[in-house]
Parts: sequence; C-alpha cells; structure tokens
Amino acid sequence: MAFVQCTGLCKTYTVGGEQVRALDHVSLTVERGDFIAICGPSGSGKSTLANVIGGLDQPDSGSVVVDGVDLARAKDAELSAYRNSHIGFVFQSFNLQSHETALENVISPLVVGGVGKKRTRRAKGMRALERVGLADRAGHKPTQLSGGQRQRVAIARALVNNPALIIADEPTGNLDSHRGAEVMAELERLNREGITLVIITHDQAVAARAGRVLTIKDGTITETRGRA
Amino acid sequence: MRLGDQFRTGWRNLSRQKLRTSLTVFAIVIGAVSVTVMLSLVTSAQGFLTSSFEKTGEDRRVIATPQLDLDYGEARWQTWADGSGKRIDDETVRAMAGLDGVESVTAILGASYFEAIRVGSSGVSVSNTPVVAYTPNGTVRRELLAGRALEAGDDSGGILVSRAIAGDLGYADNPQQLVGKTVTLTPRKEFGDAARERTATVRGVMLGEDNGLDMTLGFGKVVSPVFERCEGGGPNRQPVCTRETDFDRTGYGAIYLSARTTDDVTTVERGVERLGYGAAAGQEEIDAQAQAFTIIGLVLGGIGAIALLVAAIGVINTMVMATLERTREIGIMRAIGATKKTVRRLFTVEAGVLGFMGGVVGVILSFGVAILLNRILNQQLADSGITDRDIVSVPPTIAVAVIAVTTLIGMLAGRLPARRAANLDPVEALRYE
Repeated sequence: MAFVQCTGLCKTYTVGGEQVRALDHVSLTVERGDFIAICGPSGSGKSTLANVIGGLDQPDSGSVVVDGVDLARAKDAELSAYRNSHIGFVFQSFNLQSHETALENVISPLVVGGVGKKRTRRAKGMRALERVGLADRAGHKPTQLSGGQRQRVAIARALVNNPALIIADEPTGNLDSHRGAEVMAELERLNREGITLVIITHDQAVAARAGRVLTIKDGTITETRGRA
Repeated sequence: MRLGDQFRTGWRNLSRQKLRTSLTVFAIVIGAVSVTVMLSLVTSAQGFLTSSFEKTGEDRRVIATPQLDLDYGEARWQTWADGSGKRIDDETVRAMAGLDGVESVTAILGASYFEAIRVGSSGVSVSNTPVVAYTPNGTVRRELLAGRALEAGDDSGGILVSRAIAGDLGYADNPQQLVGKTVTLTPRKEFGDAARERTATVRGVMLGEDNGLDMTLGFGKVVSPVFERCEGGGPNRQPVCTRETDFDRTGYGAIYLSARTTDDVTTVERGVERLGYGAAAGQEEIDAQAQAFTIIGLVLGGIGAIALLVAAIGVINTMVMATLERTREIGIMRAIGATKKTVRRLFTVEAGVLGFMGGVVGVILSFGVAILLNRILNQQLADSGITDRDIVSVPPTIAVAVIAVTTLIGMLAGRLPARRAANLDPVEALRYE
C-alpha cells in the first residue's frame, strides 16, 4: 500500500448559500520519500486536499489512508495524535504563536503531545532549530525575526516530532524570491533526508522543483508531470 | 497535554492580559470576601455565644420556676417568689437533686433586702441591683475579675460584688484591693425593724453585666428580715405570735439545675416538669440567639452569593473574549495536534485559575478584615467587662471551602467558552484574522 492513499475524495462547502465542490472524486497516491507539488488557481480545492491529507479536515466521502491511519474515519483523539506526531504543517502565514519564543514555538507540539520532560523537549527543540540553522535565534520572539527566519522556525516546529510527512501550504507565498528560495532549499534538503513532502503552490518555479506535479481545477485532479 | 503544562499555559495566557485578569479576579474577590466574612462572623458569634454560656455553666443549666410558662430569659430574673405557682422549699431542692441526669442543684433566693453598700466613707446604692443567694457548689459560676468564688465558709458573711459596684466604690482600677475588705450593708427602710444592718467581707469581684451582689444561701437566710406573725387564736383571744424569715414566708425564687452533659438537658427539663414546676433551659437561649445569627448570616451570605454570581458572569465574559482573541492560536494548537478535549481543558483550567486566585486573595483579605473587626470589637468587649478577645476568626474550613467554591464557580463559568473554543473548526480558526 502506498504511503498516502486517497480514493474518491469528495468535499462540498456551502459558501454564501452556494454549494462549492472543493474535492470531486479525487484519488491519488504518494509514495514514501516523494516530493509532490499540488498546483491550481485559488479556490480550486488544493488547500482542502492538503487539510484532508493533514488530518485537519475530513472528507464527506471517500477514503484517505496515510501511513496506515484511516483519516476519514478517525475520531478527534486519533486524528489529533496523527497531526501531532506523524506529520508537520508549514503554512503560508507561518502561524507562529507571537507571544512565545522561537524555541517555545518549536517545542509546542511536544508540549501538546505530552512528550518528554522539560530538558528533553529543549534538546529536541534545539536540534530542530539547528537543522534549519536558527539555533542562535532560539530566544527570539517571531516579531524579532525576518519572514524567512519565521518560516524556518515553522519548519523546525514541523520537524520536532520527526514526522514522515511534511505538508506545506504555500510556504513561500509571503516571502520575497530570495527568502523563498532559502525556504525551498531547506524543504528540499529535508526531502533528500527521506521526509515525504507535499507542497501546495501556485508558483510555477516552486512546482518545477518537485518530483511530481498534480493540478487541481474545480475539484478534480490531474497529474501534469509524473515521476522523473 | 499534561496538567502541569496546562496550568503553565493558562497562567501565561492570563498574565498576557493583566488588567482584564485583575478586574475579573477583583470581582471574584469581592464575592469571596463577603461570603467569607459573613460566614466567619456567624460561626464566630455562635462560638462566642456557646463559650460564654459554657463559662457560666448556662449551656447545661435548667431553671426550675414556680410559674409554668417562663422562657429562659424570664426565668433568669425569677429570683424571688411572688406567691404564684407551686412553692419551692428545701424538700423540692432534694427532689430535684435526685432527678435523672442532674449533676448539681441549688436553690436561688433573691436577697434584695439592702439599700446601700458601704466601705469606709464611700457608699453606693444597691436598691436596683440584683442580689442573689445560692449554694456554692458549682451550679452557679461567675467569671471573676479578682478574688475567688463563693465557698461553704462564706455562710458567715462572704460576698461577691459586680465590677460596677467595685467601680462605684472607687476600685475601678484596682479591684483586687477590694477583696478582703469589710463592707456594711444597710437595710431597706420598708422592712422597718424586721431588717438589720449587716457586715460582710468581699471575697471576689465579678464580671458580667447582669451580676450585682452574690452571697451564699446560708448567709442569705441569716440576713433575711424576720417578721412576727400573730394570730388571735388563743382561749382568751390573746394573739399567738411566731417569728418567721422572709424565706419562710415565700420559699425560694427558683432552682438552678446543672445537667451532667448538654445531652442530659432535655431529660432534666422533663424531670422538673413532672414535679409540677416550670423548666427553662439555657440551650433554648443559645438556640434562639444562634438562630438570629443564622438568619443574619443567610441574608448576608445571600448577598455574597449574588456577588459571586455576578463575578461568574465576569468570568464568562472574560473567557469568551479570550476565545475570540485567541481563535487563531486555537487553530494553531489544533494543527500541531491538540485534541478538542485539550483545548476545552485549557480554557476550563484558565477560568478555574481565575476563580482560584479570586478565592485566595479574597480569603487573605478576609483575614485582614477579621483583624480589623477584632481591633474594634476588643475595645467594646473590654468596655463591657468581657474577658474574651479576638472573637472574630476565619475558620480554616471556611477559608478552604470558599477557595474551592470560587475555583469551581470559575471552572463552571468557563465551561461554555471552553466548549465554544474546543468546537472551533481548526481550518476556519487558522484563517481567522
């Protein structure tokens, strides 16, 4: 069985009294270690797909199995545990807690998951910050960091529980091209180290670096570029 | 998420909004202080009442009276017989001493035969002062400012005087100087030749507003006026005269019985009633006065409860605000793996901490209020000749209970906002600006 196995995913939203089909019988598989980019115009349903694979959202019908976990049927506790330890999220707007330091942000999944003692958490957090080259910024608040640094803190947070899969939703969307390239380089390095990477983007330059490119339009998915 | 981490997070979130947190806590503090102080006042008053009744033995006292319908407050003043009801004599005293549950018994004789008491050149009127004679066997106990209680040997003329009398005689500041002094008791004029001037020795000075002059029953009979009663019943119509004391004419005013324990009081009352006398127990007075305090306590406690209710609304308001402000944070927490339960608990703990802080600060302030009240009351107690000090205290059980209740109120008030936070759609919450 593939690492990520989506079969016949459907998801409909009601926006302003109008039914929007975000996912219309979407099926896809992702193998362990893949780097895939999901492209498409805004409102095409690509974020919905990322949220479903990431266990933040559940489909109306269809099945999604990641690393043997059946997300479509999972209860809140199971789904939360999956988000906590199996995957890492990276968002366009970083989504760091502004009142916490970089290190506190990075270890927050350990705190939420009740993992380890204070010292263990700190050590794990520092290791994750070292991996993104920000060990010297551990005590800084997000406001004291540049956009690129913030996103790298967010990546460190995604890494701290050693997940098998990182889902990045427009990770370079809020960054200039230089900082964006830095962040992409970071993510690619992690992919080379064996982490499966799913990137949502509408930036062709970002998509070009992925091993596979899938395009969503009006809720349906097509593979525009296969495995290299 | 571990409980310790939840507390840490909750505390941190509360300290981010110091002003709002302080105001919310302040509202709880007001409620906590009013409830704590009111409950403490009521328990302190009841404790003071009980202990003052214990000191005089009134908690175990039953007063037997010739009249059948006196309550305790009236029976206390029933010291001389006015001829109504069943006569009390030594035979009655013996019968009552034999009743079930009785520890000791004394007859009470109102010996108000005197107009004034004199020591040296200073004298003071005692015509409106209660003069009571009893057997000094511990049934009647007095709190003493100086000297000792009456003893059997005082039948030869030992007396106790009240602090007020001692003061009027010029011994307000040094009552112990009066002990051992010989005083002169001047008879009331209306007794004419029947009563004589007497001398007595002061053995002690009594505290208590209601006390006047105490003597033993033996001395009381000695100082009683003696009347001559003549009946023209002889064969030559010559009058036949007998001499009798005031006591012989009327009998005793009442009998004080001391029950072995407070549980025996009812038994003793029933026994007295079976002998055909009225019975009134000091317990009734304690109950009546305690009931008054309980009612005051309930009313004031109710005001405190309303204050706490208003404070609870404040907690709800604060927590709803917090969930709105932190919607995005909640989304982030959910994204990194927080369950609904974790989010719900986080907000419940936070609300509980608000309640807890309010309770703790409130209890600490209540201790301060108690100290303040005592400072005022101690002066008044001293002025009224009561030895008790610091009668207002916050019982630890009340302190702990108030903190527990405010914490619980906080948590209950936090339930609704906490559930709202937990049920946020994480995807929506992450998009929230």
